Amino acid sequence: MQTESQNSTEPLLKTSGLTRRFGGLIAVNDVDFEIRPREILGLIGPNGAGKSTTFNLISGFYKPSSGSLKILGSDCTGRSSMVISRMGLVRTFQHGSLMPSMTVHENILLGTLHGIRGHAARRKRAEETAEMLGLTSYLAESAGTLPHGIQRLVSIGIAFAARPRLLCLDEPLTGLNQTEVTDTLSMLERIRDDFGCSVLLVEHNMKAVMQVCDRIVVLHHGEVLATGTPTEIRSDQNVINAYLGHRHGN
Amino acid sequence: MADTLRLPYCAAGIAAAIGASLLVSDPYVASVVNLVSIAALIAVSLRFVMLIGELNFATAAFVGIGAYTTGSVLTIWDWPFGIAMISGGIAAAAVSVVFGYVTLRTKGPYFLLIGFAFTEAVRIIYSKSMGLGGNSGMVGIFPPIAFDPWMPTFVMSIAALLIFVLYVIEKSDFGKIFTAIRDNEDVARTVGLNILFVKVACFAIASFAAGVAGSLHAVVNNVISPGDFSFLLAAFALAYVKVGGEDNIVGPIVGAILLVVLGSYALGLGGHEHIFYGAAIVLAVLLMPEGVTGLLHKGRDFVMARGKRNAD
Repeated sequence: MQTESQNSTEPLLKTSGLTRRFGGLIAVNDVDFEIRPREILGLIGPNGAGKSTTFNLISGFYKPSSGSLKILGSDCTGRSSMVISRMGLVRTFQHGSLMPSMTVHENILLGTLHGIRGHAARRKRAEETAEMLGLTSYLAESAGTLPHGIQRLVSIGIAFAARPRLLCLDEPLTGLNQTEVTDTLSMLERIRDDFGCSVLLVEHNMKAVMQVCDRIVVLHHGEVLATGTPTEIRSDQNVINAYLGHRHGN
Repeated sequence: MADTLRLPYCAAGIAAAIGASLLVSDPYVASVVNLVSIAALIAVSLRFVMLIGELNFATAAFVGIGAYTTGSVLTIWDWPFGIAMISGGIAAAAVSVVFGYVTLRTKGPYFLLIGFAFTEAVRIIYSKSMGLGGNSGMVGIFPPIAFDPWMPTFVMSIAALLIFVLYVIEKSDFGKIFTAIRDNEDVARTVGLNILFVKVACFAIASFAAGVAGSLHAVVNNVISPGDFSFLLAAFALAYVKVGGEDNIVGPIVGAILLVVLGSYALGLGGHEHIFYGAAIVLAVLLMPEGVTGLLHKGRDFVMARGKRNAD
């Protein structure tokens, strides 16, 4: 990947000792990781590893029980999701991350409402975003009636129309066919390369994660098991044991 | 695009409504026209809050606050008529900001129940307040004498103006956030929109309209009493919205015209008009789930599809 040499810059997002308890259950325990400018970071782990909780913690939907969250160097621990999104961290949701009764155009326009003044400028941004995602021909259609793959793109469109610094995608590839997966991945690379936007990718599709991510954080039982490049993760013994499964002697 | 304003239709509709109201000379017809205008305004106000996905039974309370404010301003303080009219809207909007800021954190049945309780509480406050006439209410709320022959036109114009303003807001970029909140509040929050602010703003704008509707009610009837503003008022408004159709702003207006005219006719027969409301709601829900306007749309699509087939 093109962006391996950016370690000198300040991280976009940094968590230290991030912990969240639900009653007796510790869903996320002492998680440290950072997201750097212009990188695609994969967050992976088996079901119940704490990926979604981590996602909700950094986007302000949950408050951490302890630990801290810094965005662009300023402390955002416990801030509301609105404040965090205004700082440039915009997320999508796993299910139904769009407005079914509105048109695709209106959906994408929502992402522009906070950051841009004036209807004409908003329209322009929405149309640019739609074009980039290949949604131009769907603009006038009602979002709720579109095929699943297109709906996924619309939800990325809403988020990306806000031109975030960090785009957090919660399993954006689920239910997509192979062509759609390839298209989405190359779109993520364009978002990173052409717009300088970092991407946090929570995803189950291992092949895709290994292919597109610059770095990967592996969660297991709510803790960080390993952090590194795809090559490092692939050969990490802890990861192989916990997640990729034991290698059968053959 | 769906977000363009249909200004020629609006202008034609408003002109036709005001023009028709100028032709009214029969006092009975005049009273029905006044009732229809006020009912339409209340129904449009109720539907406005339905845009954010909430059923606002507090509408009745805000109509009452508008009516009592105008009543007090005219009969107790004797201020000018124009100020009395607008103060009804302002009082309702002001109360709704506080009420909305506290209660709009709840949703669905919870919000509905709070609105219901608020309406009943406010009604009881009127009936216990001797300064406001207690149970028997306030009397002698008159518009200037010069207004008398023009009352239907005045009421119709104010209602039409406010409905038009609500229409413009609904179609604006800001108005799109209302529907977004109804569809998926969390997504709207993730792109930096202040959801509570937008909800309270929507609620306050709707309550301003409801308050002015109350002011009109007060000066049209000259008498108001706590019983006028029970939760039944909101239930009727809901019936107008459901019978007319809630997909666009014409629905509640059509519903208000149909049900108020039907109700007035039933009163003339000596019947109980509530039976008609009940029957109309049942029929509307069963036979036309998208209301009269939804049915008309379907009819139009059907005819156009047939025309196309015949042409092929």
